[in-house]
Amino acid sequence: MRWGMVIDLKKCVGCCNCVLTCKAEHYLPPGIFWSRVLISETGKYPLVTKHVLPIRCNHCKEAKCVDACPTGATQQREDGLVWIDPDKCVGCRYCMMACPYQSRVYYDHEWEYFPGQGLTPLEELGRLLYPHQTGTVEKCNFCMERIDEGLAKGLKPGVDREATPACVVNCPTKAMHFGDLDDPYSEISLLIKERKGRQLHDEYGTDPSIYYLD
Amino acid sequence: MIQTRPFEFMTRYTPQREWIEGRGVLLWLAFFFIELGAGIFFVASLFSNLWGMFVGLVVCAVLGGGLHLLYLGHPFRFYLIFLKPQNSWISRGMIFVAVFLVLGIIHLGLSYWASSALGLLIVADIFAFLTVIYGGFAMNFANGIPLWNTALLPVLYVVAGFWGGAEVAMGIVLKTGALATVGASVEGLIRILLIAFVIIIAAYLISVRYGLGAGAISVGQIVRGKWAPLFWIVVVVLGVGVPAGVVIHSVVVGLAATSASLLYLSIILELIGDLGSRYLILKNGFYNPLTPISTVPTAWT
Repeated sequence: MRWGMVIDLKKCVGCCNCVLTCKAEHYLPPGIFWSRVLISETGKYPLVTKHVLPIRCNHCKEAKCVDACPTGATQQREDGLVWIDPDKCVGCRYCMMACPYQSRVYYDHEWEYFPGQGLTPLEELGRLLYPHQTGTVEKCNFCMERIDEGLAKGLKPGVDREATPACVVNCPTKAMHFGDLDDPYSEISLLIKERKGRQLHDEYGTDPSIYYLD
Repeated sequence: MIQTRPFEFMTRYTPQREWIEGRGVLLWLAFFFIELGAGIFFVASLFSNLWGMFVGLVVCAVLGGGLHLLYLGHPFRFYLIFLKPQNSWISRGMIFVAVFLVLGIIHLGLSYWASSALGLLIVADIFAFLTVIYGGFAMNFANGIPLWNTALLPVLYVVAGFWGGAEVAMGIVLKTGALATVGASVEGLIRILLIAFVIIIAAYLISVRYGLGAGAISVGQIVRGKWAPLFWIVVVVLGVGVPAGVVIHSVVVGLAATSASLLYLSIILELIGDLGSRYLILKNGFYNPLTPISTVPTAWT
């Protein structure tokens, strides 16, 4: 089993709902993004092309960050998910250098959304439910808590909402799909096959678990 | 070039920041002092100069190690760094540094209070060499940064580390009045390392420049872009040109006739040039963009 994601760029409208959902799901502090939507333009007026690219950790099969981490804080599970154990992270940021996609972020010190005015009730709740350690590196974990809890309940990630990453569930245009890359008949495997899904910068040899459909 | 808006991050050639900006400056200095200290120890050991070996160990342990610890987000967890030498160059490097320091201290103690043990010194020198080279390999591992992901980078760092070590060893030789006995040998080593540095840094920049994408941007920024004054003035003229001038002067008039202040000036400028070149390499580590980009302005390349 290897969890993966397919993002249909023809359906993505760049609304950034996945970014906001991720921030809410993980109670991310100000300035910390586990997912982003990149927007760029090429060409010259009037022949301009706008590119919208939702990105997050690619959970690469050959993850450079896992090899780079000197403490074993960055680990890869059998189902392919790459995650960080904050209690083992020393904050050397070597994994950030090693990631060619720059999907990681360093949480250097605690921020408030409204500086000097104290924490909002949501921030207080977040510090209780989903604490973030300063001095450590963070990144998208494919909502592994949702996946694990869902599997424990007998649900199927990618099919059942409760067991699927929050960004996929909340995408208003259904541009994102989640599932098992090792299952040749899963929805994402079929999409990749039919529409010739491509990985980001496959020349790095990292074999990302996120595929894009153009 | 600075991209502050989240949606623009990695849509252009993007420099790494964590290892050079903010507290990242500490890591730049830590790499420099660790490699310099090991280089001093190695060169001083060739001439059985105990003072040189002592200075090398202090520079490596106190300045290099101390700054490394200060850089970490959780310095009190530093012992965890030794746990993954099978994969991580940082882990290997810290083990090299630790073994080098322990063996170096034991050797120094034995040499001072009893008699020197050649076998121990050889092993300490091997670990000093590994200490000098590990930073280059650690950076070389980042395959998203073409400026770092080249086999010439570890070679460049080895030569720079030993050249700096030889220059500081020359300073110690001058200070301890051993110029007549070992001065010529140290000066001979400096000449070889200086020539090697010039050849390797030129080959390094040229090979990266004619590679793909971000490498050309990195070298363009260093040689012709925003950082050109630092490269040409500090690295080339002061860091290489002046020491080369002093070397030529010493060849012409002889080392004994070369003034000590000129030699000290050469030592200081070489170290400043080395620091400058390391800063440029860290600062201009560009990643390729993730989205398609328009033509890059020619000024960048």
